[in-house]
Amino acid sequence: MRIGVMVCHCGNNIAATVDCEAVAAAAREFPDVVFATDHMYACSDPGQGTIEKTIRELKLDGVVVASCSPRMHEVTFRRAVERAGLNRYMFEMANIREHVAWISLDRKRNTEKAIDLVRMAVEKLRYDRPLTAKSFEVQKRVLIIGAGVAGIQAALDCAEGGLDVVLVERKASIGGVMSKLDKTFPTIDCSVCVLGPKMVDVGQHPRITLHTLSEVEELSGYVGNFEVTIRKKTPYVDWVKCTGCGACLEKCPSRKVPDSHNEGISTTTAITIPFPQAIPKRAAIDPTVCLHFTKGTCGVCKKVCPADAIDYDLKDEVVTEKVGAVIAATGLDLFDHRKCGEYGGGRYPDVITSLQYERMLSASGPTNGHIQRPSDGAEPKTVVFISCVGSRDRSVDRPYCSNFCCMYTAKQAILTRDHIPDSRAYVFYMDIRATGKGYEEFVRRAQEEYEVQYIRGRVAQIYPLYPLAGPEGNQLVVRGADTLLGVQVEIKADLVVLAVGAESAHGAPALAEKLRISYDAYGFFLESHPKLRPVETNTVGVFLAGACQAPKDIPASVAQASAAAGKVLALLSKDKLESDPQIAQVQAMRCIGCGKCERTCPFGAIRMRELRDGAKRAEVVETVCQGCGICSVTCPVRAIQLAHFTDSQLLAEVNALCRTWTETTGS
Amino acid sequence: MPDMDRDYRIIGFLCNWCSYGGADAAGVARFNQPTELRIIRVPCSGRVDPMFVAKALLSGADGVLVSGCHPRDCHYTEGNLYARRRLELLRRFLPIIGVDEGRFEYVWVSASEGSRWRDMVTKFTEKIHQLGPMPRMAETARTLCALEGMLGVSSAQPDMWRPGEPGHDALLSMDEYKEVMDGE
Amino acid sequence: MASESSASALSANEPSVNDSAANESSTNASADRMETLRAKIAAELPNVDFVLAYGRGFDPLHATPVTVRGEKDLDRLIFDPTCVQNLATSLYGLRGKRLGVVVKGCDSRSIVQLLQERLWERENLVIFGLPCEGVLDLAKLRATLDIASARAASFTGSPRDGLLRLTFNDDGGHDGERTREIETKGLLADKCLRCQHPNPLVFDHMIGPETLPQGAQDDYADLAALEKLSTQERFDFWKRQMGRCIRCYACRNACPLCVCKHVCLADSREPHWLSAEATLQEKWLFQVMHALHLAGRCTECGECQRSCPMGIPILLLKRMMNRELKELFNYQAGVSLEAIPPLHTFLMEEDRIKDRGLLW
Repeated sequence: MRIGVMVCHCGNNIAATVDCEAVAAAAREFPDVVFATDHMYACSDPGQGTIEKTIRELKLDGVVVASCSPRMHEVTFRRAVERAGLNRYMFEMANIREHVAWISLDRKRNTEKAIDLVRMAVEKLRYDRPLTAKSFEVQKRVLIIGAGVAGIQAALDCAEGGLDVVLVERKASIGGVMSKLDKTFPTIDCSVCVLGPKMVDVGQHPRITLHTLSEVEELSGYVGNFEVTIRKKTPYVDWVKCTGCGACLEKCPSRKVPDSHNEGISTTTAITIPFPQAIPKRAAIDPTVCLHFTKGTCGVCKKVCPADAIDYDLKDEVVTEKVGAVIAATGLDLFDHRKCGEYGGGRYPDVITSLQYERMLSASGPTNGHIQRPSDGAEPKTVVFISCVGSRDRSVDRPYCSNFCCMYTAKQAILTRDHIPDSRAYVFYMDIRATGKGYEEFVRRAQEEYEVQYIRGRVAQIYPLYPLAGPEGNQLVVRGADTLLGVQVEIKADLVVLAVGAESAHGAPALAEKLRISYDAYGFFLESHPKLRPVETNTVGVFLAGACQAPKDIPASVAQASAAAGKVLALLSKDKLESDPQIAQVQAMRCIGCGKCERTCPFGAIRMRELRDGAKRAEVVETVCQGCGICSVTCPVRAIQLAHFTDSQLLAEVNALCRTWTETTGS
Repeated sequence: MPDMDRDYRIIGFLCNWCSYGGADAAGVARFNQPTELRIIRVPCSGRVDPMFVAKALLSGADGVLVSGCHPRDCHYTEGNLYARRRLELLRRFLPIIGVDEGRFEYVWVSASEGSRWRDMVTKFTEKIHQLGPMPRMAETARTLCALEGMLGVSSAQPDMWRPGEPGHDALLSMDEYKEVMDGE
Repeated sequence: MASESSASALSANEPSVNDSAANESSTNASADRMETLRAKIAAELPNVDFVLAYGRGFDPLHATPVTVRGEKDLDRLIFDPTCVQNLATSLYGLRGKRLGVVVKGCDSRSIVQLLQERLWERENLVIFGLPCEGVLDLAKLRATLDIASARAASFTGSPRDGLLRLTFNDDGGHDGERTREIETKGLLADKCLRCQHPNPLVFDHMIGPETLPQGAQDDYADLAALEKLSTQERFDFWKRQMGRCIRCYACRNACPLCVCKHVCLADSREPHWLSAEATLQEKWLFQVMHALHLAGRCTECGECQRSCPMGIPILLLKRMMNRELKELFNYQAGVSLEAIPPLHTFLMEEDRIKDRGLLW
């Protein structure tokens, strides 16, 4: 075998703490290595050119590049060796940047380690075999989980691109958080006026199948051929018959149900249509509060329904759909401020969340757009906004910035001054993060044009001015620090609005597990690469859109949704996909047909084939195998081997290390 | 005090999806770490054959660290759950053949946990330094005549069984054993 | 054959403490039982290719496996405490045939395991189960006697509390003979002393009355003794033990569950786990591999250790594995046909495995 080795300096990234020339020189002594050199940037055009040229000129059978993580550039270099006529799997990488140069400044030890890693790569390469991908048919359909603005945008883009879309939404209507907003920053557009038409498009698009009140139960399969199981919770209303007329809502006797669309600041009925623009505009019964289900007494809605759509006996439905790709767009939830005792821990009715305030501002909200204090319905004259509630706060395990609170706080302060011209608005802030297009100008307008008082400092305590509600009404005292002036401030507020931060949607980790994607400590889904693959996940065929990946505002969510749709469209534009050939292979001669591999394969990728004499042999279904290698360890004979990660290859790496140590330690 | 100047031989088997990414993340964050660990990339901790670990330890490695995705977080759904059973069993088995249980460890590190990876590497390396080098095969063994036949009565060879020596029912006491050892 | 007839004759005269003890004590050597076994085998012969059973070996203290193919072979059958072999070992190589096999309680666990792993078809097996109260460990006998010159041996009573009568040629040059009686209790194999399954767990024909298990649970005293040593001392212990290994693979060949010995990893070049070098590493690693392969499968029949010509206590490794499997997964191999082997399944939350990342 003829092996070439290239050691990359990565500019100074590697060369600063690793003697790359010495690594290349050491590599020349390794078995089968006929060429070794170092290069400033192996991944650059000239670097790849050198690799290709050397392969051709020296008739190499395999190449080792010692550079960055294979998670970064393995694909790049595989393409390069392929261009030079080699099989793309006759290539190995030694990670001497992330695993060597960047974790230690000890040049001598780093160089020794880099030499070891190259030795391991060479030894593994000596057992590499050319592998060829198989192609398979794909389902030209996409599953989108979550129908907030990101899911809606992704669905429309995919559908317009010619894909069939299965859109799953947990709530009764699509729309997500954006459908609850009054206006959007920095343009003060009416939120639902912008979103509404898109929602209608989703409802009417012939390529979009909408499943609301539905959740993904299980996802199996692999890119191009996923199979998803969806549980459709019953609304106890036949949605084919229901016209959304609302007659049932008017007559429903159970009227004290907190309205979740209005963030609990108003009540609704047990059978309800979430909001006027809901898609689908259909009534649904909440069985946890409906008198028919809780007491068995009522049946009014069934009597009054003109379409005879109410059916208390309906059951949840489980549907399965076949799709080729998945976009997760499950959005966010908001921080529960009751964890913060300094803001009253939820005890004061006039301390509300920003989203509750948003509902109050909305013309279609419970107060028809009038700002009213929850305690007495009076119009507040002094409104205090507190930012970073559950953001950038280690004490409540929310160290991250929620990205959009600064902006919506400015917007709400402006709207306050708009709605109540004689009011005063104060904002307690830590820093103002206004990095988007037109954002800084918007905050300036709030401060200068609308005279919103920005106070840089944290609020230490909120307490009632008159604990027993005196003549001054129910005012609250907001006590905090103005760190710019270096003084304590106290503001008598009629209403306090907490700019609560973003959290991952509840149940996000469980969904991630179903999708086999990673999530961070806070439940946000993990992208494949923070810079270069922000839409992909580590599971091929599963993409991310919107705030499920990290807190995002509307334009960023929409942009990522379109990006995800673009990725899906590109992926499914091919009629056939190539399967990764790094999969399990059975040595039929060694297989004893015990079937243990079949039992442990998580994907059902192994079948037992019966030979003519009745003996059994394991057989791998190539498109189903995902290449985990569980079977290989299960097999008593190790007759099933994972291509490119065979026992012999991993043993070669182990041996390469143990041998050098034995040599260098002289025993 | 563990000897931190000497380099030890530590092999890591890291799953491609979580822990290898976590080790990358530690590098990207420039977290300073001991250099002794050499990482072998595998697709999944479920690919890690306990025999690789045994092979490494019996071939001269001073420590072996396996790291995979957290339970429930496996890229292949179940690989780390099989691995957990296999590796736990191995971990409990190793002491009987004279390999300190501290020389082998398996942990879970996700792709986002660069600092956790740094901690794991640092602690594991320290542990190996505390334990010192793995005993070498090539060194001259202290003769352990007294132990022969003491454990598991040899049934096949007459010369393995010396008349009058205790069998299974009467194992050597520790004092007796030490006596024999010291007298050597 | 002489030993058997004399044994049964003696057992009839054996004074007994109580009735049940008398019944039990006669199980291993009872003439009735042999007659039943012969009759049952004779009845099944038309249904099977042949029956694996025990016959007398090269001397009165050794048994040997025999194949019974016809009525004429029935006379060769024996069953007494010299029948140490696990006949299940021969089964896998004979897969595809329809066989009868004679098993003791411990041997039946190997069969349970083979069936559970779908390595044999139950319908192709006729099992003659023999309750057993113990077999001899000849090494223990050799410790006190030169047994090579024994001309005849007979057993009296149950091996648990009976006697072994050995007849030697008289050394005085006369035509006479010399006899010696030894209590069998001290001669039993270690595995019999901790036996919990004296009665076959799977059988078509149970030959003779069932017996009670040995009283004591396995306390793993042998492992505990080894564990009292320091790590270094344990390492040295095995270094010395493994150093004797001649890589004959008798241990593997005697193992009833080493079903892949024809494609054994120890001999394979691809994958290449072991080299042919006779280094300590290779010898040692093979034993660790054997133990790992048998994890969740080994029934501790002890054939590996019994067959080792170098007297290496390799069963200890498997017992260590079994002790931990029992503790971790409450699992014992070869006792249930339906059990799922612990390494072929998992729990999302393992009750007895702590999260390793938090331990240090």
